[in-house]
Amino acid sequence: MKYWRETIAVAQRILTELWRRRRSLIFWCVFPIAVLLLNSSIYANRARISTALAMKFAAPSTLVGAALFFSCLGGSVATVVSEREQQTLKRLFISPLSGTSYFLGIFVAHSFIGIGQALLVYTVATFLGATFSGSILLGSLIILLSIAAYVGVGFILGTQLARRTEDVNALVATFGVPLLILGGAFFPTSLFSDELLKIARFNPIYHMNEALGAVWARGQELSEFASHFWFLLLFSLVMVILGWVSYRSMLIVERRL
Amino acid sequence: MLNIKNLTKSYGKRRILQDLNLHIKPGEIYGLLGPNGAGKTTTINIICNLLQADSGTIEINDRPISQATKSWLGVAPQENLLYKTLSCQENLNFYAQIYGLTSKERRQKVKTSLAAVNLLDRAKTPVENLSGGMKRRVNIAVALVHQPKLLILDEPTTGLDIETRYEIWELIQNLKKQGMTILLTTHLLDEAQRLCQRIGILKEGKIISEGSLEELRKLIPAKEIILIETEKEEEAIVRGSELGFTHRRYGSDLAFWLPKHLELKEIIAAFDDIPLDSIARKSVDLEHIYIEVTQNNHKI
Repeated sequence: MKYWRETIAVAQRILTELWRRRRSLIFWCVFPIAVLLLNSSIYANRARISTALAMKFAAPSTLVGAALFFSCLGGSVATVVSEREQQTLKRLFISPLSGTSYFLGIFVAHSFIGIGQALLVYTVATFLGATFSGSILLGSLIILLSIAAYVGVGFILGTQLARRTEDVNALVATFGVPLLILGGAFFPTSLFSDELLKIARFNPIYHMNEALGAVWARGQELSEFASHFWFLLLFSLVMVILGWVSYRSMLIVERRL
Repeated sequence: MLNIKNLTKSYGKRRILQDLNLHIKPGEIYGLLGPNGAGKTTTINIICNLLQADSGTIEINDRPISQATKSWLGVAPQENLLYKTLSCQENLNFYAQIYGLTSKERRQKVKTSLAAVNLLDRAKTPVENLSGGMKRRVNIAVALVHQPKLLILDEPTTGLDIETRYEIWELIQNLKKQGMTILLTTHLLDEAQRLCQRIGILKEGKIISEGSLEELRKLIPAKEIILIETEKEEEAIVRGSELGFTHRRYGSDLAFWLPKHLELKEIIAAFDDIPLDSIARKSVDLEHIYIEVTQNNHKI
């Protein structure tokens, strides 16, 4: 009960803060739609397919590769950094809030944003004629695992490497943009050379992208894209654990008034 | 309410707290004074269970400090640690939720805490739109929202203008009337003098003097203090010494402790052949006691 109450409190607070900054909220809505339109346009032109079909293939990479990356990973880093900058973390140290609830609160808040973006991307794609097949449950699980992985990485970066808001941009650009490109977020992986594909296999975004594309764009069963799914599951678990450890180590160093 | 016994804390070879003893009675405002680095913040960190002491015990309401005693403490840190985009009400509601208040309790406590700091009409205003003084009051309201048994105010008026300082003092006096137990750390001696029933002076991790202002005044055997401005300071000091007036320097001011009350003409007569530019009379206050204690290591 305590964890549930605290988790909801943290999540609610993050979402209320986002609601207060309505401009950011609008940008979080505009961003995935813009990427979806651009990606689908590239697909449609390069593969000479209809816009509706292009949307179907562009939606997964737009969502897990671009939208969730910036909202969940960038958002988690920004949440932790802003708490450090505003020093509100100190006040949380004094309170009975548990570290687990804090972590879960951030995860829930960003899941909320991520799910909102997923609904937005798929609603726009559907509105423009795309049709989707495959298991809704499996696709949703892939999205949740991607969010967990991003939040975990966000905690690692936010607690270990970023101290100021200015650091967030540099971090997200340095770690994120190459991984996004290599993960097929902006260019279809079908355009990659064999050498590049070999490297991409070490990139979790590639596996998120492939897994969601397999289930919702190509309507495949789990057995057909098992390697991508298991890689993502393992990566998410490891990142959540490492994120948790990073948070604990930050607590040891910074638990002072 | 708060009982600290033989508390010690070192960072490497540097001893921050040395056998610190401190006792605060329920309903009392206790002022902890001391220069920077005396150990005030370290003490608060240990009370809040953020730091482990090397030895010694701390009890709040007769229970050793632990995770469970966290909700008995309300802490208003030096900086206003608030979520700036959230309103006053939302800030308080968030912390009330963290402290486990039910939704009904939250509604009531948020209201009463905002009323206590006189910000009920600003409940829905985002913190970033408040003045410095109002932010400080919200900072204190956050510490009150879960109805703590002990309130710790860490330098509550540092950096505020004089009008805002009066507002905060009034707020603390109101809390005192409501029976709140408060540990107040401050650099401002008039603040401690005005608000605290007992004062402890901390130096190099030890309470070197403690008591009410009346008790501390006994450290200075003077009825009043005179400040003298003269070109012939050496001669004035010799004359003062002949008259049994102890001399002291408070900054660049030359001062004498008068062992008994004298009329102004008697004071002027006492220094009759020394050219005086000015004489100022002052009662013995905390400033003089503090300097005496921290520089000359008196103990009470």
